[in-house]
Amino acid sequence: MREISKHPVLSFERGKRIKFLFEGSPVTAYQGETVAMALYRNGIDVFSESPKLHRPRGMFCAIGKCSSCMMRVNGVPNVRTCILPVREGMTVERQKGLGEKPSKAVKYPPPVIREEKVAIVGSGPAGLSAAITLAENGVAPLIIEQNPRLGGQLIKQTHKFFGSERENAGKRGIDIASEMIESVKKAGVEFYLNSTAFGFYEGKTLGVFAENKLLKIRSKYFIFATGAAEKMIPFEGNDLPGVFGAGAAQTMMNVYGIKPGENVLMVGAGNVGLIVSYQMLQAGINVKAVIEAAPKIGGYFVHAAKIRRFGVPIYTSTTIKKAIGERRVEKAVIVSLNKKFEEIPGTEKALDVDTICLATGLIPSVSLLAQSGVRMKYVSALGGYVPLRNKYLRTSLPNVYVAGDITGIEEASTAILEGEIAAYSILSDMGKDVEKELSDAISELSELRSGPFGAKIVFGMKEVQYE
Amino acid sequence: MKSKDVVIIGAGITGLSVAYYLSRNGVRNIAVIDKSFPGSGSTGRCGTGIRQQFTTREHIVLMRESVKLWREWETSLPLSVHFRQGGYLWLLETEKEVSNFEKYVKLQNLFGVESRIIDKYEAKQIVPDLDIESIAGASWCPTDGNAYPFDTVEALKLALKNYGTEINAFEEVVGIETRGGAVKSVITNKETYSTNLVIDAAGFGARKIAKMAGIDLPLKLYRHQIAVSEPVKVFLEPMIVKGELYFTQTYRGRIIGGTDLNEPETESLQSTERFLEKYATELLSVMPVLSSLNVMRQWAGFYVVSPDHHPILGGTPVSGFLVATGFSGHGFMLGPVIGKLMAMYVLHGIMYLPEANNLGLDRFKKGKLIEEKAVIG
Repeated sequence: MREISKHPVLSFERGKRIKFLFEGSPVTAYQGETVAMALYRNGIDVFSESPKLHRPRGMFCAIGKCSSCMMRVNGVPNVRTCILPVREGMTVERQKGLGEKPSKAVKYPPPVIREEKVAIVGSGPAGLSAAITLAENGVAPLIIEQNPRLGGQLIKQTHKFFGSERENAGKRGIDIASEMIESVKKAGVEFYLNSTAFGFYEGKTLGVFAENKLLKIRSKYFIFATGAAEKMIPFEGNDLPGVFGAGAAQTMMNVYGIKPGENVLMVGAGNVGLIVSYQMLQAGINVKAVIEAAPKIGGYFVHAAKIRRFGVPIYTSTTIKKAIGERRVEKAVIVSLNKKFEEIPGTEKALDVDTICLATGLIPSVSLLAQSGVRMKYVSALGGYVPLRNKYLRTSLPNVYVAGDITGIEEASTAILEGEIAAYSILSDMGKDVEKELSDAISELSELRSGPFGAKIVFGMKEVQYE
Repeated sequence: MKSKDVVIIGAGITGLSVAYYLSRNGVRNIAVIDKSFPGSGSTGRCGTGIRQQFTTREHIVLMRESVKLWREWETSLPLSVHFRQGGYLWLLETEKEVSNFEKYVKLQNLFGVESRIIDKYEAKQIVPDLDIESIAGASWCPTDGNAYPFDTVEALKLALKNYGTEINAFEEVVGIETRGGAVKSVITNKETYSTNLVIDAAGFGARKIAKMAGIDLPLKLYRHQIAVSEPVKVFLEPMIVKGELYFTQTYRGRIIGGTDLNEPETESLQSTERFLEKYATELLSVMPVLSSLNVMRQWAGFYVVSPDHHPILGGTPVSGFLVATGFSGHGFMLGPVIGKLMAMYVLHGIMYLPEANNLGLDRFKKGKLIEEKAVIG
């Protein structure tokens, strides 16, 4: 139904067919996909009802960062179905309002304690590059990943990267991801998938719920590379199924081969909005318009030019006013803005779309660090609360390092370099002779940020870096 | 320099409640000062419980009155505090414990609290999800309950706003001036308040504030931790207590509770793994069906503990410097009655409940301590 059959860049290997029960009826899924994806592919948009007003709710982030896709699975309430792999025969039910209490006591095995040298939370470009750097220097880290695959958001970046050769210019994100994943596997780095780190205690112990068991990871060093989450913006009907984060749409298309919709409104003309719009066109989806509240397009000109060539209009000084629909988006109303970002009455326009994608920014995923007592600061230029750290990416807790979007919203190339820096800092702290590699990585990062798009980041960094 | 009739230090439930009863009785030229936001201390960190099942006359009577006031707050404050009388079900493991609690229940009944000892099957009827295998019986008081701390703070804030009483948040007291053994002014990092009357309701900062006036309060700070689960539809209204464990469900659906680690005094408010493990183990032994619920958050707060686990209320050797502190883990539940007691004391010079006369600071000098056996979590 919603399967992408032909794609210019990707080919989809679908696993064997299995069946599970949704609201008592069998649903066919592919082995290896998540419950939410299987449901969506089968045309199911509504996953739950909101707690108070019982409004229909669907998936939003598709990577386990929000609570929009929570359902009851095998009698357990509040399961994030977007990151839960399907299993033969499982029962999945909608939550009508808050979930009912669990139907029975689940027995878990006793906790597993692991003593590690370095533990890495998150396996996106930052986490993987840190792991590779450590492994290359004889230190085997342990990786914790809450999604069913390694690679973070890199596994859905089908576009080619810019920059110099060192930063993988000209390569597609998906290819960089598979190379990195292969290196990690080749080096024998151990990793846990489908495993959520839920607490970080006294700078020493990480609590992880790894599928069905509790892991207590006691490690000398930690690297937090937990990435970021997509922002929701306020407008009427923003909770309707069919309103997705742009990154979620990308996950659906490029990881699972599923069309988020047929006719799409993209909100936000930064790089994410432009690139995802282009990828939607590649997947055979009709992008009705891209709108941008600012008077100018935020992303690179080349990306904008690509989608314009397809005849997709980009309306600047325009925002979304409301989403209309019964069980999912059926229409979107957009409106022009004046110079003060106020709506201009009479400029409303309705678009026939079934999907609205929000590419309106990201928030660093800092909750684990904040809970553990790492000193944080709100820096708007970096996307929200971020940890204070020095140029070696060490936080206010000794032996706790950060890398990637958790330090402030940037891109995969900087995340890869930050992963290296964190790893080299730890190696150096361990007494290994990596001073040159460390300082090279640091200067390379500042070079990468020296362009006009890095100015904001550099400005923001001044707020959070200490000596 | 501002001139104030009363300066209240601390905008937790105690300070706000005192300000509320003073305002209600016509005293409006008040400043409530807090170094952070209202409810940022022990109030916002508390376990929400409100009980009358205590073991001393002072606690029982004060809490009986407080429950009455909680019920009144629910209707008279401009916002709901979500006071719910779901009862406290105190699970007892041994026959000896049961016979001890029989004595407490007698005392509670004597002072008008309708608690009673029940057998484990009745306990199971009240809370069907209980595992009663290791239970000998329970002490049950259906009029105990809980309220929501943040809603309570918001309700009191709005009530004070309607009276025109000012709350000065993010303002830190740095000194208290006395002359001739009497309070003259309160100095903060932003303002100097000239006043003859200061009420120290600063919770875990109360000792430090009192020191500024030259008074040594015999208080110790103990870290206590709490965890909440993700929300599920409300199915549990009573507060369950067993040994050091306590838990209930908030009206928003989260299972909230804690346990005691018997830690030494500390200044740290970090959450620990040891707490979560002990809490989860004890919780699941009482209610195994919760095993697959996720923990959403855990945090720590301070019990501000007096030598006999009872509040320290009223005057001090410095004229015009009053204290309302030392609640030893019961500050939230006592909030309404303490506010009324202190306001009446300010206005009329007497404690309107005679039991409160036993809770003065001078009792420690006189050696008239009152021992409370029922301190949990």
